[in-house]
Amino acid sequence: MNTRIEKMRNIGISAHIDSGKTTLSERILFYTKKIHKIHEVNGKDGKGATMDSMELEKERGITIASAATTVNWKDHVINIIDTPGHVDFTIEVERSLRVLDSAILVLCSVGGVQSQTITVDRQLKRYNVPRIAFVNKLDRVGANPFKVKDQLKERLGHNAVLMQIPIGLEDNYLGVVDLVSMKANYFDGTDGENVRMEEIPAELKDQADKSREEMLDAVSMFSDELMEAVLEGQENEDLINQAIRNGTITGALTPVFMGSAYRNKGVQPLLDAIVCYLPNPADVVNYAKDLDQDGKEIPLESDPEAGCVALAFKLEDGPYGQLTYLRIYQGALKKGDQLLNSRSQHTIRVGRLVKMHADTMTDISQAESGDIVALFGIDCRSGDTFVTPGLNYSMTAIFVPDPVISLAVKPVDNKSSDNLAKALQRFVKEDPTFKTYVDHESKETIIQGMGELHLDVYLERMKREYKTEVETGKPQVAYREAISQRAEFDYTHKKQTGGSGQFGRVVGYIEPFYDSPYEFVNEVKGGNIPKEYIPSCDKGFQSALKKGQLIGFPVTSIRTVLTDGQSHPVDSSDIAFQVAAREAFKAAYAKAKPQILEPIMKLSVEGPSEFIGNYFSSINQRRGLIVSTVEDGTFARVDAEVPLSEMFGYATTLRSSTQGKAEFTMEFLKYGRVPSNIAEALKEEYRDSKQKESS
Amino acid sequence: MVKKELIRRSPLRILEKSIHGGLKDGNIGVLASRKGVGKTACLVHLSTDKLFQDKPVIHVSYASRVDYIITWYEDIFKEIAKKQNLELAVEVHDDVIRNRVIMNFKQDAAHTDQVLKTVEAMIDCADFAANTIMVDGYDFRKSTAEDLQKFKDFAQKMGLRIWFSASLKKDDPLFDDNGIPYELTGYLDQIDVLITLVSQEEHVRLRLVKDYDYPPPGDLKIKLDPKTLLISE
Repeated sequence: MNTRIEKMRNIGISAHIDSGKTTLSERILFYTKKIHKIHEVNGKDGKGATMDSMELEKERGITIASAATTVNWKDHVINIIDTPGHVDFTIEVERSLRVLDSAILVLCSVGGVQSQTITVDRQLKRYNVPRIAFVNKLDRVGANPFKVKDQLKERLGHNAVLMQIPIGLEDNYLGVVDLVSMKANYFDGTDGENVRMEEIPAELKDQADKSREEMLDAVSMFSDELMEAVLEGQENEDLINQAIRNGTITGALTPVFMGSAYRNKGVQPLLDAIVCYLPNPADVVNYAKDLDQDGKEIPLESDPEAGCVALAFKLEDGPYGQLTYLRIYQGALKKGDQLLNSRSQHTIRVGRLVKMHADTMTDISQAESGDIVALFGIDCRSGDTFVTPGLNYSMTAIFVPDPVISLAVKPVDNKSSDNLAKALQRFVKEDPTFKTYVDHESKETIIQGMGELHLDVYLERMKREYKTEVETGKPQVAYREAISQRAEFDYTHKKQTGGSGQFGRVVGYIEPFYDSPYEFVNEVKGGNIPKEYIPSCDKGFQSALKKGQLIGFPVTSIRTVLTDGQSHPVDSSDIAFQVAAREAFKAAYAKAKPQILEPIMKLSVEGPSEFIGNYFSSINQRRGLIVSTVEDGTFARVDAEVPLSEMFGYATTLRSSTQGKAEFTMEFLKYGRVPSNIAEALKEEYRDSKQKESS
Repeated sequence: MVKKELIRRSPLRILEKSIHGGLKDGNIGVLASRKGVGKTACLVHLSTDKLFQDKPVIHVSYASRVDYIITWYEDIFKEIAKKQNLELAVEVHDDVIRNRVIMNFKQDAAHTDQVLKTVEAMIDCADFAANTIMVDGYDFRKSTAEDLQKFKDFAQKMGLRIWFSASLKKDDPLFDDNGIPYELTGYLDQIDVLITLVSQEEHVRLRLVKDYDYPPPGDLKIKLDPKTLLISE
């Protein structure tokens, strides 16, 4: 392995909103000399970093909120990648987690493991991201890092092990005892920049010995060599560090560090830990899908000589135009190189290539696997994969599901109206599951997505990033209609009284078809319908599919087979056959037992076991189907299938019935049949609205 | 074959007859064998038979993963559908899923009281009218008769019948003179029906060794086919 890649770390900082992520990030930039002065982001009330302070930071030009920031520490390159603050399962979250090789999980020493911590940790777990924990705010009243370590074990199931113990707490918090070197660390100077090592204070000696023993017990599981050395009393720092690294990289061990970023204490040892224990890009095997082999998974090599494979994980609008952030997974990338976008199959040329730092960017001419770089002036979407021509790999799934929910949005004023267009354009580029259009009938702007939370995230972003205030309508579920049995048709469209006549007869059948939304089969023999009118029939059928007759939603999963017909030498025309097909379809549709389908979501509710009855009844009340449950003593997870139409406001219900301790995630699963009583209500609603329209 | 016929002709009817009409409300039945002989397959087949009759089943599992149990159900369903040439298999399958809940527990962390509380919540809060509970992977070696009695009391209170699988881990000899596994002798007051599975050359033999208070008949006329993992005649 080359030393360049060995000395590289791609990390994320994940945290509960009040645990001090921003302050910690800022201190990291300061100690790595990326910024030269510490700005306090904490409010005067000392409540810690909030979203507002993130905004403030942006305004000051510190771009820790940007997609990636590169810093250097002890001869290593650390790329800090922003992890999205929102918790909904979206393609965007998935992408930013993919580019991390590891993460720091920041916890508040008072609040400990909170519900949002559980969510961010679950996301990291889902992508097998190894992590170290940092217990922040040891200077606060009620600080207890030992309790937080226990919660990491009990609530998150981590094999959490203390790497340090605190010297004093709350007002008396002074520093940490490092259990590997068995030295006390103090942080001197106006900004804590000078780390002073001392002997362990006498009163902490016993506690330190005991904690070290526990640490050695836990980490020696990951190194036979260390285990032997410990038995013989011969352990040394190198052996211990290697064992910790072994355990951490596989995700089997979570080393726990601590400090107070606000008081400038404990940050440098955390930086040392990033370098010492977290994986480099070559330690992690990444896979791409080979589009030439039906999406077969191919492991990527960090070898810089191999063909280039890079993922565009984030787009950003800057003063210089669109900036595209790429993570290179395989091979190398040079200025002037040709790259193929495997989604669009367009070739691009690499123009300006930069590395982003906290407040500057540097131009570079080349980057290699593991690197995170930004390109200027590339037209692409977030999630696109760029490869050396000749390869046809994709880092992400090509399949994009149709949106299942839509919402009308109306800007409150002119300024918002201008910005709304910009915002929508951007979101569509970033997220393929987010769609928007203008409804011709109501002239309203409609946004569509994969769930209520998904759209909420974008409404929030409109407000925050684009200063756009909108009024929203009632969320509308994307129903579908489908037939459940085969039905024949034999329809003649005839208008031959005066003027130019119209004539067309179509015979055939429609039947359920599950491989694709629609298929048209022509089995007409002997030219009973002239060739040139076959596409007219197809067009006629398709126009009937756009609005089903039950509730006016699109008809799906259907095959139309045309078997026979009749034409007239003068009166048959394109239009005549279109009309014949459309009317034939309508007649057959009614006989084919049409049904209404609705989006069914996969729901996962997670929280304390004591509320399990509440989870069950909340799902049951929503026509949900409980598929399975998992319980491990204190925590429970319930997996269920629920109709999306019943899930509006579920977040509030769940929160209030569980004292805010339970959370849920939801994603689209399939379309399912609407029960007959609800189908009747939907049909009646549709009839009423049609009646209103006509009157 | 239509579903009704399939239920009627199921080899499990023979089992029911052998144990005087099947397990009754408040009863506990146990399927015991060494690991890998086919206990889970039997349990899932018994469960699927109930599901075919539109009777909801709760499958309590102490295994480490849920997806593995779901795979068992899918496999057994496919085998039955294939073997009996089941009509409307897709619709039947949908009904089967609707009537089945899989509940996974870590036995070390989730105590019996908690397991029963969750099962009760499922029945009461989720209106899930289960009558049969399948308990897979319960460790009889780590447990006590008092603990199993809790299941029995629960079964009586709620009007449920509970089937357990018991994995036998003792060195040979496994069974006493009456064919009762040594590991389960301490539980005989709680167990109403006890069936052991023993692997033989061509198939797995099912042996009824406790049949309420009736004298147990020993070998049953049904066996487990190791290829399909279905109970057959």
